[in-house]
Amino acid sequence: MIKIEKRNDVPMALYFFTPFIAIILTILGGGIIFYILGFNPIEALKFYFITPISNLYGLSELLLKATPLCLIAIGLSFCFKSNNWNIGAEGQLTFGAIVGGGVALLFYNQEGFYILPLVILAGAIGGMFFALIPAILKTYFNTNEILVSLMLVYVSKLLLDYLVVGPWSNPEGFNFPETRQFSDSSRMPLLFEGLRIHAGIFLALGAVMLSWFILYKTYLGFQIKVSGLSLKTAKYAGFKGKTMILVVFMISGACAGLAGVGEITGPIGQLHRMISPDYGFTAIIVAFLGRLNPFGIIFASLVVALTYLGAETAQIFLQIPKYTGQVFQGMILFFLLASDYLLFFKVKILNLKKNELRH
Amino acid sequence: MATDLRISNISKIYPGCVANDNVSLQFKSGKIYALLGENGAGKSTLVKILSGVISPDNGEVFLNEKNLKLSSPLDAKKNKIGMVFQHFNLFETLSVFENLSIDATEDNKSLRVRINEILKKYNFSIDLDIPVLNLSAGQKQKVEIIRCLLRSPKVLIMDEPTSVLTEQETEELFISLKKFCDEGILIIYITHKLKEVLSLCDEVAVMRKGKVVSVSQTQNEKVETLANKMVGQKLAKIKKKINISKNKDEIFKVKHLNFYSDDPFETSLVNLNFSVKKGECLGIAGISGNGQNELFQILSGEIITPDTSIIFRNKEIAKLNPKQRREYLMAFSPEDRISQAAVPELKIYENVALNNFKSSNFFEKGLVNERKIKEHSKKILSDFSVNTDNVELKSQFLSGGNLQKLILGRELITAPELLICYNPTWGLDVGAINYIHETLIKINDQEKSTILISTDTEELLKLSDRIAVIYKGKLSKIMPSEEVTPEKLGVLMGGGSID
Repeated sequence: MIKIEKRNDVPMALYFFTPFIAIILTILGGGIIFYILGFNPIEALKFYFITPISNLYGLSELLLKATPLCLIAIGLSFCFKSNNWNIGAEGQLTFGAIVGGGVALLFYNQEGFYILPLVILAGAIGGMFFALIPAILKTYFNTNEILVSLMLVYVSKLLLDYLVVGPWSNPEGFNFPETRQFSDSSRMPLLFEGLRIHAGIFLALGAVMLSWFILYKTYLGFQIKVSGLSLKTAKYAGFKGKTMILVVFMISGACAGLAGVGEITGPIGQLHRMISPDYGFTAIIVAFLGRLNPFGIIFASLVVALTYLGAETAQIFLQIPKYTGQVFQGMILFFLLASDYLLFFKVKILNLKKNELRH
Repeated sequence: MATDLRISNISKIYPGCVANDNVSLQFKSGKIYALLGENGAGKSTLVKILSGVISPDNGEVFLNEKNLKLSSPLDAKKNKIGMVFQHFNLFETLSVFENLSIDATEDNKSLRVRINEILKKYNFSIDLDIPVLNLSAGQKQKVEIIRCLLRSPKVLIMDEPTSVLTEQETEELFISLKKFCDEGILIIYITHKLKEVLSLCDEVAVMRKGKVVSVSQTQNEKVETLANKMVGQKLAKIKKKINISKNKDEIFKVKHLNFYSDDPFETSLVNLNFSVKKGECLGIAGISGNGQNELFQILSGEIITPDTSIIFRNKEIAKLNPKQRREYLMAFSPEDRISQAAVPELKIYENVALNNFKSSNFFEKGLVNERKIKEHSKKILSDFSVNTDNVELKSQFLSGGNLQKLILGRELITAPELLICYNPTWGLDVGAINYIHETLIKINDQEKSTILISTDTEELLKLSDRIAVIYKGKLSKIMPSEEVTPEKLGVLMGGGSID
């Protein structure tokens, strides 16, 4: 018979260490999968995890991919810490990109230092607004934010689809589903000539600092912490529960919107259908792998970004589909949850003799 | 046939705590045995071992000289050891009969005949075909007892059976237990209520810190001697408070408090009106589940009810939330220490910061003033003799008594004019209870008022100046406490009427 008991005291150090165990297990699991597929596992893993970042261009790509993941995950950590399950960051990202992109398109033939800040601001507001929908429905109509935020992802994706093939499509674009190119004033400045890494990374780093400050040094952060641990206590302490739900969703949406606007003003430079390889969903894994801790999230976003890059390298060198990236992301989450389970519970195998098994 | 139950050298060690330390006891049928001890003395562990819920690390249990192997509750049942737990294991939505037939081995027809025989024999009146949720706590307990009796037990273990009963129901229970005893069932009665031991039991074993410290005949014992054995130190006896209420000002006044709920797990409140004078303790008695939760939450501002008027220090506060009420110098100590009044995962100083209002300056301009909170917390820890001075300690490492001291300290250090507390000593040991009672008396002496919502009648009689009883969401008339007897309270708590 197997008996599962809750552990009373889980050491904090171990709590922050298990993500590393999950990553190691993911790498081992990946090796086994490659072996079964008939590759030399060591070599395949090298293509996956070492080759992509063995030159400057690769490192820049890593940071490029980690930037939106980090931004979104930082926002999500506000929601998750306070027991609000916003899983529609992908939708908020898309809507932020639509609003920000809309502003950028208004200025498509103009130059000016003020344009980029306007575009970025518009993106943040767009994401914030889109996150407010599930928040308001949750606070005033008792809907489930998981369902609403998830369903709204498809609303914004379809809206983007409609805009890029319809009203916003490039008049000189031969009916390709894409908008005009943004003007240079709407583009994120590049950090290095020849590399794609852009100033958006400072937005992500700024978000990390700011979120650390809010979460650990302010009354809002204290309320978020208490509400996440016990809603009953939050009510007893007289925290304004509804306002707090709205605020965390707005923070989360703004971050996702910034991520969206960073993509379109950074590497993409226009709106089209595929502005995000599901960064909004993958960021959920990043947030948990980073233990909802701002600095943990930096680390986690780099690890998960590597799975995107590795998948692309593996597609080129090993001819395996790049969707293996999702397999790795899935494995990380799986092993993280599994090791968390073992962290919080202990499994006892009780030795029973035959006669005791009968009843 | 006589039953002889012998526990020999039982030990059970949990990480960091010896729950049972070489416990040996002997019980013979024909007597009622009390197992007395504070919370955490090891009573429950011993009982769980006897009922097969946990296995001991060491030691053996003999029933009529047969070595019992109790590795599951089924083993206990097979060996005719019956157990009635403090918390009932009944399906609320199923009928009484369905609950009883779940683990029965016979067909429904003969089961019903046998149940009816038991009902008749012991004079229990329970409708077998109504859902359990419609039963009172006493009736639910009877269903549990019937479940045991159906298996014709040799041993019947009752774990804190009167904690949810009225005085009347307690008396009825005692009569039944004496009857069972006369019929040769060995009864082990677990409690921390001293008077019950003296009135019901023949022999008493006292446990302290996992060890049996004394076994004696109850006729040779008094409340004081048992209390001393249980606590292990001379108890400073609290003086019954002198009633000081003269024509003092009413500082808190509730009018037309109504609360309606569809939820079967909540109680609707019907037109409650009462007031509290300066320096007075208003006790609100009642068996849990009669609306105390809802009343507490409305008084604290967690639930806002329309059309209610709550006047506090000449201001209408009925629409204010708990934080705003605190600004007016109210303080609240809820029943649920672990998931409401405090968060175990938070550090002590963070839990202190929960009682935050403008003048506390814990959060200035939206920023945490950690230094201020920690200073304040240190003061609470020393002023209210919490047994640590480390404000960084996670609250989960405090015992129930120390956590309650911390919570009361947090609420009281701001010198509130009115403290509303709900079961402040629930589940605490005698030492901590005494401390908290002294504290509550002290704040009345300082002309501050308290509302004490409690299910412990002894506590209410000791601390209150006036007492009212809440029953099914209705409040009885408010009586001066010197006119109130435990029996009177019991009648009202059970839904009866006096005069």
